[in-house]
Amino acid sequence: MTNTWVDLKNADVILVDGSNCAENHPASMTWINKAKDDRGAKLIVVDPRFTRTASQADLYVAIRSGTDIPFFGGMIKYLIDKQLIQKEYVLHYTNAANVIDPGFKGPADLDGLFSGFVDDDGDGFGKYDQSTWKYQLDDKGNPLRDETLKNPLCVFQVMKRHYARYTLKTVSGITGCPPDKLEAAYKLFASTGARNKSGTILYAMGQTQHTVGSQNVRCMAMIQLLLGNMGVPGGGVNALRGESNVQGSTDQGILAHLVPGYIGIPRAGDHPTLAAYNEKETPKTGYWSNKPKFMVSLLKAWWGDHATAENQFAYDYLPKVESPANHYWMSLFEDMYAGKIQGLWLMGQNPAVSGPNSRMEREALKKLKWMVVQELFDTETCSFWRAPGVKPADVKTEVFILPAADAMEKEGSIVTSGRLIQWRSKVADAPGMALPDHQILNLIYLKLKALYAAAPGPFADPIVHLNWDYGKELSVEKVAQELNGYATAAIKDPQGNILASKGDTLKSFALLQADGTTACGCWIYGGYFAPADDGTGKMMPATKRRGQKDPGGLGMYPFWAFAWPANRRIIYNRCSADPNGKPWSEDKKLIWWDETQKKWVGYDVPDFAVTKAPSDPGGKDPFIMRVDGRGGLFASLNEGPLPEHYEPLETPVAKNPFSSRLHNPAIKIWKTDQGKSIGDNVGKTDKFPIVATTYRVVEHWQAGGMSRWLDWLTECQPEMFVEMSKELATERGIGNGDRVRISSARGEITAVAVVTARFKPFNVEGKTVHQVGMPWHFGWGGLATGDVANDLTPHVGDANTMIPEYKAFLVNIKKA
Amino acid sequence: MARKAMLIDESKCTACRGCQVACKQWNELTGWEYSKTVNTGSYENPPRLTPQTWTRIKFTEYDSRQGFRWLFLKEGCMHCGEAACVDVCPTKALKKQADGRVTVEPDLCNGCGYCSQFCPFGIPKLEVASVITGQAKASKCTFCQDRTDNGLSPSCVKTCPAQALFWGDRDKMIAAGKKRVETLKTRGFAAVNLYGEEVVGGLGRLYVLIEKPETYGLPADPQYPAMAMMWQNVIQPLGKIAIGGTVLGTFVAWLIIRRNIKMEEVE
Amino acid sequence: MNGQGEEAGHIFQIRWIPKYTFVERLLHWIHTASFIPLVATGLVLYLDTLKPLAQGDAGQWMRLVHRLIAVLFIAEPLVYGILQPRRLWLHIKEFSFEKDDLGWLKNAFSYYVRGKHDAMPPQGRFNTGEKINGMAMIVTWILFVVSGLIMWFGKGLVSAELFRWMVVVHDLTTIAALCMFIVHFYLAVAHPLMWAALVSMRFGVTSATYAAEHHAKWYYGPKRAMELYEAKKRNDSH
Repeated sequence: MTNTWVDLKNADVILVDGSNCAENHPASMTWINKAKDDRGAKLIVVDPRFTRTASQADLYVAIRSGTDIPFFGGMIKYLIDKQLIQKEYVLHYTNAANVIDPGFKGPADLDGLFSGFVDDDGDGFGKYDQSTWKYQLDDKGNPLRDETLKNPLCVFQVMKRHYARYTLKTVSGITGCPPDKLEAAYKLFASTGARNKSGTILYAMGQTQHTVGSQNVRCMAMIQLLLGNMGVPGGGVNALRGESNVQGSTDQGILAHLVPGYIGIPRAGDHPTLAAYNEKETPKTGYWSNKPKFMVSLLKAWWGDHATAENQFAYDYLPKVESPANHYWMSLFEDMYAGKIQGLWLMGQNPAVSGPNSRMEREALKKLKWMVVQELFDTETCSFWRAPGVKPADVKTEVFILPAADAMEKEGSIVTSGRLIQWRSKVADAPGMALPDHQILNLIYLKLKALYAAAPGPFADPIVHLNWDYGKELSVEKVAQELNGYATAAIKDPQGNILASKGDTLKSFALLQADGTTACGCWIYGGYFAPADDGTGKMMPATKRRGQKDPGGLGMYPFWAFAWPANRRIIYNRCSADPNGKPWSEDKKLIWWDETQKKWVGYDVPDFAVTKAPSDPGGKDPFIMRVDGRGGLFASLNEGPLPEHYEPLETPVAKNPFSSRLHNPAIKIWKTDQGKSIGDNVGKTDKFPIVATTYRVVEHWQAGGMSRWLDWLTECQPEMFVEMSKELATERGIGNGDRVRISSARGEITAVAVVTARFKPFNVEGKTVHQVGMPWHFGWGGLATGDVANDLTPHVGDANTMIPEYKAFLVNIKKA
Repeated sequence: MARKAMLIDESKCTACRGCQVACKQWNELTGWEYSKTVNTGSYENPPRLTPQTWTRIKFTEYDSRQGFRWLFLKEGCMHCGEAACVDVCPTKALKKQADGRVTVEPDLCNGCGYCSQFCPFGIPKLEVASVITGQAKASKCTFCQDRTDNGLSPSCVKTCPAQALFWGDRDKMIAAGKKRVETLKTRGFAAVNLYGEEVVGGLGRLYVLIEKPETYGLPADPQYPAMAMMWQNVIQPLGKIAIGGTVLGTFVAWLIIRRNIKMEEVE
Repeated sequence: MNGQGEEAGHIFQIRWIPKYTFVERLLHWIHTASFIPLVATGLVLYLDTLKPLAQGDAGQWMRLVHRLIAVLFIAEPLVYGILQPRRLWLHIKEFSFEKDDLGWLKNAFSYYVRGKHDAMPPQGRFNTGEKINGMAMIVTWILFVVSGLIMWFGKGLVSAELFRWMVVVHDLTTIAALCMFIVHFYLAVAHPLMWAALVSMRFGVTSATYAAEHHAKWYYGPKRAMELYEAKKRNDSH
């Protein structure tokens, strides 16, 4: 989230697209309702199906699954055509005026492709040479700008031409949404372009789990920039994270392409030395120019005294990857399926149920020599070797289950979607032999260290030298202090004043150094464990605070816990003031330039150099993490710098109305065992004419490991079901509550039919397209049981993040 | 003591069923192990209130003139101002507290089940151990008596993430409900209404409904059961008079005839 | 039975004649033995002073006992009807009213309350009052059984409205039956003129004199009884 949960109350229009927040983030409704009550806010819900969130909507817009880019593209065109953009904001705070390289061509010119496409094997999928996707630079190396926005090569004009094709008629045709509904939604959300209004967009897996997931998110960012909604109270692009602490785990570098703090993981070929890494990965401008400080502090945190300037701060100890893409979920399971991986260690994951084409993933598990699972219950993954139809004797994988403690049974911090790091106390002891995951890892590490110390192999140093001193019974607070950062030697300012003494917990990541005098396990957490005032004068680690003061009344609650970065509740909040530093409106006054104090003041921590005046150089460039300080209407991802519509890999549509490119050209297509029953098959409409999507319901949690074993929740939602329209049910002779068979190119499952008016067929370019939906919570274990929805989903992912396309694929459906 | 009430703003309910589960947690009620629910083509489960389910969400799909609606109703005891269940309870297990809460004391209940049959809303449920022996216990929502006795709100109110549930003095709840109805009217909800202000002595559970009560499956005009009135207020007192009168009458007749009859005349 | 009674210092001879069969007496006493505890276990729900007996475990026991005895109460006439349907039918016929019963009704008060025992027109084996009692028992039995069974097994099967009716019917029937029972009990046990009633129901016999006076139509036959009655009336009026 760029903003916070509480901040939803400041919105005038709330656009929920690709999220079912009432079900999957029930607490969101507290603040959405507050916005409705206090401000008369309107709620727009865009979803292929009428969800429990839709039941709360002032305007419900049904679009076919996988057509968010046309929906948003149509909105961008609407905003430009009707001149509803927030012009001053767009001009100063975005790259709209930047002039693009004349070599750049877009899908309008190249039939669905951007300039630089390289199709190495002629299958229509490939990679881009992005060299033309750049600004023209002036003599000083700064981007060339045309503040009249008239230059045909400026971003604004390029974008305008790009989306000129996204007419209401075309968008309506492809989304299956009547034009009047589209227009109503556009009009309502466009109202937030006014200076005194703001609109927020909430999204979740409904936007990301597509082959164009990243570009879906880009669309929202562009709209929010065009309407001046980014960095303001009640605005922003707000990702509702799918797990209670998934924000925390991404912060900690759980993704294959990152190390903690969103620092790119070093790659073997590109970054042989720390100097090479810093050289290649550090921008000259913007806050990321501090990256070497973060990297060195991270290495210091991990290898302590063994990380010295002489040994590149133990940079050689850090494992390098060939390419992060080799380590994404699907890549791992393809490798596992191919027998290239021997062992798997899972913590709170249930891939037997949650993985795409999960039957194939369960096959992959059989190829392992060993598997360790840290879990609360005997999930389907723990016992994949005795899944229905599997002979245990045929499975050679040795499985170890380590009973783990639940979140309530351990102490530590949990990070919300709003980047709020909240400390939680242990509530109860874990049952039996169960241990907190961190203690399991602690014991494993201590054992490993002893083994390596006793018999060092060729390269034992990274293990034995690891700075791991959290105690035999791991102290969570010690880990927290390391994540926060501490001084390994006294830090002085240029005048020689001591800013921090050796061993001090650092108050901010601004104190981090590239010379080894600081250690920090996750730079963005800088200050979260440092003593801070809770608003009553009481000092305690910032994350443990529960102060309830709310200066300004905007719900920033600066004394409640700690939000990274720097306890900032709304990031890019320089945008909440106009270029001259005055709030856009009194109502949404967040931070502003105080001429008398010569600094930025307000109700939130400024996301800006505090003493940099609006009149200073760069004083009007609010996006400090970006090289040019401006929001990127034009910004490169793997499939292009502007979102373009491509159909899901499995689509009911024969032709893309925007070009002859049906699919995202930059996605990776696997072909393992194609033609075999559980291979990487692609279904076509002849056999599988119905669009399907998967989702969660409020009664269950993810792959069910935490909910399907619970009596009360099982009672509410006891078994697997598939939802469909009355029209489809009539067509197929299916009655409500009947058992039906759902098949895709990967396999077949059965479920109970829920026939409902909440699903309606789509009229896609004159053709009726049916859509069905299934929860993916169920498996054969636990109390609430049912077939695994992901037995049907394809092994294909987004071109940037490789998140699987769970949300749009093709099935057929028959009465069982 | 001021009468308490729960205000349920169904316009805000998202059917997350946090209330349903929180109720079970607080009151230590069982779930699937007891009800063995199955999916019958709806999200709604368990299909009805049970001795182990004191509140639940009822789902209704409805095509209103203003478009399709998915309506949710939090079912549970209405805590009627004129509580027939209390009137017909022969054991005083059901009690009307001074603040209007209708509570159940399971230790007093003998399982007769009159409460379940005389309730105009069919709310109290009997946990029947055996139909043959008649062993049973009645149960229903007590507004979490142990919580509300101690100044806390009922557990469902406490948990509601949409903040659709409110607890407080009944007149304040009515005022808030009326205000909410007005607000929703301005937001285009033509049929919005406050349910329960007057009926059956005024309900302790007030609803803001965005459609007519019947659309939710609520009786439009629930009545205190006439039969309970007749039984409790007419038949039972008259019956006591009749029985007492008969006893007295025969006694007097005996006194008279003893004086009139000389025993030796008999036979 | 020695056939002798001792009263007021002198001995007199009573001639015993049979009145009730063994089966009739058995039925009467089973009915009594079930009716009284049924009323008792029912009254705990009714009378505030008995409330503690209705509550909790005690109440559960009361309801269990009520049900157990109800089985006897229900089964008794049914078994009789199955084993001896003709006799049951004769009983019902015996309980049916005739024109003469008006005379009993007219004189009942002066006879039973004021003790004018010569005022009564001749009665059959069952006098009109006993017939009323008998018919009432049949009707209340039906009402008890139907309403009771519906309350017992019908919860959730029948509509709440019907159930409520059944509760009220059961209650009204109890009140009526109890009043009948009180009068019946008084007449049988304490009324001086009815001294032989309890004897008859215990031992199946009654005194000939008593029968001649109280059940003349049965003792003498209807025709002779009427003649005697008319003659007595003429004597009295002279």
